[in-house]
Amino acid sequence: MTTVIDGRELQPPEPMERTLEALDTLAEGDDLLLLLYCQPHPLFNVLRQNGYAWNEELRADGTREIRIRKLPG
Amino acid sequence: MHPSLSFDQAPPISVPYRFFLAAPWFGVMAGILLAWSGGDALASRWTPEVLALTHLIALGFMLQTMCGALFQFIPVAVGGNVWRPKLVANTVQPLLLLATLLLVAGLLFSRPGLLSAAAPLFLLAIGGFVVVVALALWRTPATGMTLWALRMAIGSLAITVLLGSLMVEALAYGLSVPILELANIHLAWGLGGWALMLLAGVSYYVVPMFQLTRPYPLWFTRWFGPLLLLLLLAWSSQLLVDDARWPLLVALPLLLLVSVYAGMTLWLQYTRRRKIHDATSMCFRMAMASMLAFAISGATFFLLPELGADPRFVVWLGMLAFAGVFVSAITGMMYKIVPFLNWLHLQRLGAPLSSVPNMNKMIPPEAMTGQLRLHALAVVLLLAAVWQPGLARLAGVAFAASCAWLGWNLVGAVRRYQTFRDRIRAAGLHH
Repeated sequence: MTTVIDGRELQPPEPMERTLEALDTLAEGDDLLLLLYCQPHPLFNVLRQNGYAWNEELRADGTREIRIRKLPG
Repeated sequence: MHPSLSFDQAPPISVPYRFFLAAPWFGVMAGILLAWSGGDALASRWTPEVLALTHLIALGFMLQTMCGALFQFIPVAVGGNVWRPKLVANTVQPLLLLATLLLVAGLLFSRPGLLSAAAPLFLLAIGGFVVVVALALWRTPATGMTLWALRMAIGSLAITVLLGSLMVEALAYGLSVPILELANIHLAWGLGGWALMLLAGVSYYVVPMFQLTRPYPLWFTRWFGPLLLLLLLAWSSQLLVDDARWPLLVALPLLLLVSVYAGMTLWLQYTRRRKIHDATSMCFRMAMASMLAFAISGATFFLLPELGADPRFVVWLGMLAFAGVFVSAITGMMYKIVPFLNWLHLQRLGAPLSSVPNMNKMIPPEAMTGQLRLHALAVVLLLAAVWQPGLARLAGVAFAASCAWLGWNLVGAVRRYQTFRDRIRAAGLHH
């Protein structure tokens, strides 16, 4: 199952707050899709340190699709 | 927030804040100096008062905040690690404060001894800062045009300070150097290569993020910085090219490029789907309108030499650039960065998300918009005072009051941070 958070029209830190909340309930095998206009380095650090993997794609309109999932174990 | 989530090692909050808290008081000093000196002070760009005012704003207000912001921005926006940020900030900031005061006093009272004492302090403070920041910017694995803009900006800062030190030593020791050309080149690297390049690089990242606009188009971010750098190199070659038309040939495309950035930022604001009218958006609108006015005035200066012959014209350009563009834009940035940093650092204490207050509670919105209105009035008065010297004292008082209000708003935000931090700790919510 994919949960989508569209952070493009939200003021910081709302996208990060929503993402952290959604990570709390993210089951293994599910993923979280975050849409932003920037690269959220502070979030990447949180993900790195807490056992999440992500990949990032840049759309032509400048939107970054950040797909996050929990690493097994 | 997930209790096991831990935040990265961004610099302690005191690192950016020690720079941010000092900056507005240099603006207050500038306002008081103008109020004290009166209208004759603005007769040309070479009066001791104008030289002192320029450096109070450029070094005291702009450089302070820009250095402080970079310590925070580099890890957050481009994932770079600044080497021992607390040690560097604790060394660079007091040196910078002292050097600025010595330079301003030296310019104001025409004391060569103070000038030549300031130069090595700047070289030490900014030299150290540039090396540490450049290492962080070249080592980060991140990519993108914000990063390239920051790299070009930090190189330009080094050039600006080297040229400034050269001029100061030449003045102090009575060396013969082409001072007018050097001053124009120093100014172009400082305002264009450092301040504007940095503002643009930071804008690519924070304008979409905080002002909810679409991103800057890729063609724009790809070309703006490199073109600006090329034009600055061409502008600097006036030392070598012995043709009176050369500065005009370079200045017009340079001013056009500046207007494209300002126009693009205003367009992005205008076309955003969710309209927000917060202090930051208003500050940016004011900064970009001032930038357009600067470009139009600058073109007039070059194309209509009879108008440009009035020495007050360059002071007018300076007022637009320093007070209109950069003080406005930096104020707007601080009004977002400071509440955001408060939030980020309170989060890092590990308290549940619900116990960390909303960003809007960090500085009351009405305090920000009130201060901004006073700043707008001060800028209008400053611009008018260039042509109506009788208004200079009033303009100085308004600018000092507006900067003091900004300083007070920032102090309030830091107090709120401390209160919330103590509350979270007392409640034992952190781990």
